[in-house]
Amino acid sequence: MGSEPVTNYVKDLWQELSMDPVPFTPEQLRREEEKLRSRVRRRSLVGRGIGWLVVAAFTLYLFVFPNLLQRIGSLLSIAGVVYCLIQLRLQRPRPMPDAGETESIRFYRAELERLRDFHRGGWLWSRVIVLLPGPIIFMAGFARAYPNLGLGTFVWVNALVVFVGAVAVGVPLNLKLARQYQRRIDALDAWQRG
Amino acid sequence: MQEIKASQYELYQQAAREYGAALGRLAYAYEADSDRRRDLLQEIHFALWRSFSNFNGRCSLRTWVYRLAHNVATSHVIRQRRRNAMTFLTLEEAEAEAPHEYVEASADQERARARLLALIQRLEPLDRQLMLAYLDGMEAEEISEITGLTAANVWTKIHRIKNVLSRRFHAGGQNGK
Repeated sequence: MGSEPVTNYVKDLWQELSMDPVPFTPEQLRREEEKLRSRVRRRSLVGRGIGWLVVAAFTLYLFVFPNLLQRIGSLLSIAGVVYCLIQLRLQRPRPMPDAGETESIRFYRAELERLRDFHRGGWLWSRVIVLLPGPIIFMAGFARAYPNLGLGTFVWVNALVVFVGAVAVGVPLNLKLARQYQRRIDALDAWQRG
Repeated sequence: MQEIKASQYELYQQAAREYGAALGRLAYAYEADSDRRRDLLQEIHFALWRSFSNFNGRCSLRTWVYRLAHNVATSHVIRQRRRNAMTFLTLEEAEAEAPHEYVEASADQERARARLLALIQRLEPLDRQLMLAYLDGMEAEEISEITGLTAANVWTKIHRIKNVLSRRFHAGGQNGK
């Protein structure tokens, strides 16, 4: 038997899947719009809130702690967090209103490229370079400012943990994700060629 | 709050009336969980309404609706995959895979439909899109316009889809019913 009867049967099976096509009323759309706005507001408030909390803490340290290293560390930490907040804003998912104009392949590829680039190259290394030195210098300054607390070893162990955590774990993890996205982009190219 | 423009809403109403059922099926194809499926369908409807403020008529309403719905659903799949580390099949893999069960579709339509959904939900987003467009009865040219694939390439994929379906389903009887 040829495949046509089977595929026609499966088409019917699919198209008979009963669905309620009731559209939203204008009132529902307004409510959805408001829900979307508050969801976006809430999400960005949480992300930005944490960032600004760290900025506020290091700004306070800038004035509270007299040691030069601590101040430099605070300044670098503030700069690092602000940079990451800007990066997150620039790397937000693309807005949907133009999705009706965009062919699916272009849309999917752009999404994969955006995610891949977030996890590798300039975007990744700039996060590492900008974020790491601040807290480490701050902690070194802390140990230097209060030698009587005997924090020298403690501080360097902590700095090492931060460094190992961020570089030895975070970087390979990001690069692995980037490679996964790249493989999917390659697969998409192969798929497109047929 | 943004006002609901009459023309934008009329276009949305027309799209929802003509393609609402197809959008519902599309949500089924992209999300197995019923709560998340409802959210996805709402997200698609809402994105659709918003999109009509930019509708320029350079493509048909149907193409616009399908592109937008699949693009929203693809974003949904990417988000889900990031959370759950899901893996999907390509059409080629589905074609090569030996079916676990050969469904005598005429014996039990619900079971056959469940098998079909399970198959669709395992496909890569773009393969899934092709499968849905084919099942919704679209022509190769229109599928090409929506996806960005060449028409010849769409034909090749459709051939694969037919193979995958005929390997998994048995129409039963001469007429497929």
